[in-house]
Amino acid sequence: MEALQEIRAALEKGQSARLRELLGPAVEAGTPPDRILRTMLEVMEQVGKGFKEDRVFIPEVLMVGRAFNLSLDFLAPLLGEGEAAKSCHLAKAVLGTVKGDIHDIGKNLVKLMFTGSGVEVVDLGVDVSPEAFVEAVRVHKPDILAMSALLTTTMPQQRKTIRALEKAGLRQGVAVFVGGAPVTEAYAREIGADYYSSDAGEAMEMARVVIDRKKAGEH
Amino acid sequence: MTGKERVLATLNHQKTDRVPWIPFTGVHAGALKGYSATEVLTDSQKLYESLMEAYKLYQPDALPVVFDLQIEAEILGCKLVWADEAPPSVADHPLEETTDLPCECLMPTRESGRIPFVLDVMSKMKASVGDDIALYGLICGPFTLASHLRGNNLFMDMILDEDYVHKLMEFTTTVSLKMVDLYLEAGMDVIAVVDPLVSQISPEHFTELCHESFKTVYDYIRAKGAKSSFFVCGNATRQLEVMCKTGPDSISIDENVDMKSAKEITDSYNIAIGGNIPLTTLMLHGTQQENMKFVVNMLDTLSHDNLIIAPGCDMPYAVPADNSIGIAQAILETDAVREMVKNYEAPKEDIHVELPDYASLERPLVEAFTLDSATCAACTYMMGAMNVAKEHFGDRIDLVEYKFTEKENIARCVKMGVKNLPCVYVNGELKWSSIIPSREELFKTIEGLL
Repeated sequence: MEALQEIRAALEKGQSARLRELLGPAVEAGTPPDRILRTMLEVMEQVGKGFKEDRVFIPEVLMVGRAFNLSLDFLAPLLGEGEAAKSCHLAKAVLGTVKGDIHDIGKNLVKLMFTGSGVEVVDLGVDVSPEAFVEAVRVHKPDILAMSALLTTTMPQQRKTIRALEKAGLRQGVAVFVGGAPVTEAYAREIGADYYSSDAGEAMEMARVVIDRKKAGEH
Repeated sequence: MTGKERVLATLNHQKTDRVPWIPFTGVHAGALKGYSATEVLTDSQKLYESLMEAYKLYQPDALPVVFDLQIEAEILGCKLVWADEAPPSVADHPLEETTDLPCECLMPTRESGRIPFVLDVMSKMKASVGDDIALYGLICGPFTLASHLRGNNLFMDMILDEDYVHKLMEFTTTVSLKMVDLYLEAGMDVIAVVDPLVSQISPEHFTELCHESFKTVYDYIRAKGAKSSFFVCGNATRQLEVMCKTGPDSISIDENVDMKSAKEITDSYNIAIGGNIPLTTLMLHGTQQENMKFVVNMLDTLSHDNLIIAPGCDMPYAVPADNSIGIAQAILETDAVREMVKNYEAPKEDIHVELPDYASLERPLVEAFTLDSATCAACTYMMGAMNVAKEHFGDRIDLVEYKFTEKENIARCVKMGVKNLPCVYVNGELKWSSIIPSREELFKTIEGLL
């Protein structure tokens, strides 16, 4: 379908204004909103992959992410509750940068990638204490808790948060993601996190694993 | 060759007697003297003492004086959040909501922000060690500085408002040139332009929006008769080529980039390359042997021309001093350390070592385990301190040095559970590791056992 191809091309280039022009007429002409959404999610997957493989960089990801979010605002009301749940709310994530750390670029990129994989995101911002993470998990009951740490000195907060989750009896139901420049796979294992990702593209892939497991009824 | 001659020769792409070693001590230097990151980034005397300790222990060929990418941002109105064990972070961005430029009146001068502190440490270091080692003045790169001012919006501007990015980069480039002037006047031999964010944009964007700025800065440094280095963090594999085209004398990369392939690129431009000892996995969390092995392996697999061995970026505060000492030793005495590493890994069953019966010693027994007190500075100082004690206490104590160069001593280290060198055990108990005790502390410990 030509309309879908145009939408795909506009999203790939991060052209928000162009997408706004295309979406209304496309829906009016009978393109099902869920097909449009699926096309957009495919683009987001490609972008995540490109980011991971160092073919796509932060400016492009932010532009595409912004265009995606604006388009989603337009499409969401047009999707039936069931359809929305099928495509946009495959899982829920709580994310934030840990206590003592105010770096947010990486966390924001992960947020974009999560949204672009159909994950509903609750963003707690930066400098988030273990207690605040635990409270958010209690309130929002997410499938994923993702923590970013950019300093060797704030990495231990990821461990503290995991311990606090255990203490609160909330560790079982949630997949814990950790990332950030100094964090490594080995460290993630050592502190008892479930998933480590070296960048936002990889975080997106890991989110897909969680979604697949959720579909299969695993945790 | 002095360290300074060695570094400058490398940056002039000439032959050297060995590969230079530059520990980017950063706030870690403070840890050597018990000072917090905030203390060493605000108090010139404390930073000076810390750097002198690093100079003594790590035998560097060069040292960066102040490693803090927030100095310019602070002058231009960014708020900083301070930490005990890390450099400060930028907490807000004055241009986040506006596409204006900062006031020209904020251009750095000798009096701005923490510049008086920086210049004071620079002049102290210059006077103390400036003839022996090269001194690096670090400035925040124009692109990272632009992001400090504008926040994440800068990335969107790169696509939506290139004109603004050009203007902002022009401003930050002028800031860089002012900083170059100030630091060269203070006697710095090398200006390092540290721009971690360069790895986060495409090579095309770099060429379009950043090339001119960096080239201007490196040309300026060269015209002033000094040397330059381009520090980047993260996976900058794709950006290396365009970084080379801006014409720095050297480039420094971290562990996210493969050193061997990176060197092929920098060699093709006749630019020196520095790096890339992993900061967290190895320097912070690895053992001394692992650090030595990594560096020996680097030296064995890379061509030595146009090469500098350095950490991937500024060292984490809590890096064990033993690890950096091991690295220094691996660079200074590569052949001996290669043997040590080999011996350490070899099966030890054939060597039987008898440990003293610590419970029934006739007099206090001081055992110093060293890499080799003849060549490793930290070991020399450690043995020096012990020899002073021996002279003082005479026959009332026993002192013995075990050099790690002997297979038998390695077996002893394994049996004793020695993890890092140099270290000192008294009556079989670990007392000091890497940090040399004061005379008072040492004597008190021994007297307590007499």
